[in-house]
Amino acid sequence: MILSGWETVFFWIFSIAAILAGLLTVMARNAVHSALFLISSLVSVGALFILLGAEFIAGVQILVYVGGVMVLFLFVIMLVNVGAEEEGRAPIFNRPPQVAAALIFSLLLVLALLTAINKGYAGLKDRDAAALKQAAATRSDQEAKMQTAATGVSRLSTQTESVGNSLFTSYSLPFEIASVLLLVAIIGSVMLARTLKQEAAVDDVDPDMLQTAAAVESLEAGAGE
Amino acid sequence: MNHLTPLFALLFQEASNDRLSNAIEGVKHPDLSKFLVIAAILFIIGVAGVLTRRNLLVIFMSIELILNAANLNFIAFSRYLQETGTGNPMAGQVFTVFIIVVAAAEAAIGLGIVIALYRNRETIWIDEIDLMKW
Repeated sequence: MILSGWETVFFWIFSIAAILAGLLTVMARNAVHSALFLISSLVSVGALFILLGAEFIAGVQILVYVGGVMVLFLFVIMLVNVGAEEEGRAPIFNRPPQVAAALIFSLLLVLALLTAINKGYAGLKDRDAAALKQAAATRSDQEAKMQTAATGVSRLSTQTESVGNSLFTSYSLPFEIASVLLLVAIIGSVMLARTLKQEAAVDDVDPDMLQTAAAVESLEAGAGE
Repeated sequence: MNHLTPLFALLFQEASNDRLSNAIEGVKHPDLSKFLVIAAILFIIGVAGVLTRRNLLVIFMSIELILNAANLNFIAFSRYLQETGTGNPMAGQVFTVFIIVVAAAEAAIGLGIVIALYRNRETIWIDEIDLMKW
């Protein structure tokens, strides 16, 4: 899967963009800026997926991850963070010794992972040397056999079909379990975000809780005056 | 040690041509190891974000970075196995779909918890959410 030519250029552009955007996500002062930088990072990683031939996964990433999860994040940031920002809590990082320790740890981890990946990949290359040499040739053969798109220039990828095949035959049980997981997440998030009044309106709250809440409210109202 | 090779070549000036040309070859024709390194760096940035930031929402976003790094790893190996390996190359992409599903569910529930927390404590600074701290 050795890239060359324009793919190399795009690989370096998108990987440097992903890493820079990730760094800025972690370092931005404003949470909205963090969210926008994370969106850039996710889109760059999606572009890397396309370079790796996983077009369907790239589409799922943009639609679900960026279009669903990050938009949800932005909603909650607007709901919750704007008030917090206004109170002017200036330092955004934890105490300096902790930041220094985290940085040193990260640096050591980077060096360790680089060494491990390069050594491991050298071993993999030795084992698969013959297949790797054939890889470019087999890939262009396969591409020549793929259906041509209507524009006549590009080919229609079959990756979606392969993923769908695997997902619905070999991995159908995890697929069904994932749908149950999503159902549980929907129910859980609706239940978690209900206010006491909403729960009382559907008779879903303990009467003791109602009395306690009323007492707390009257205390706060008394203190406010 | 592809990435430190030019530095070593400069420092030690021994057989520098061979290793330098290998390094330049690696840059001009990236292969699996480059993708793994990018994923590893993203992972580490995410872990550093989780460990050092105080805003609960930024911690959640760093967790999403970590999950994305794992996704990139899976897809890179899936492509590698498609060309060279035995076994099921599609497993990497199927698992990536499941990771995205789990990340979406986790984000929904986690943000629900953040909203409930904000309603009760009026804060999302983790330094102030210390009721269970000893």
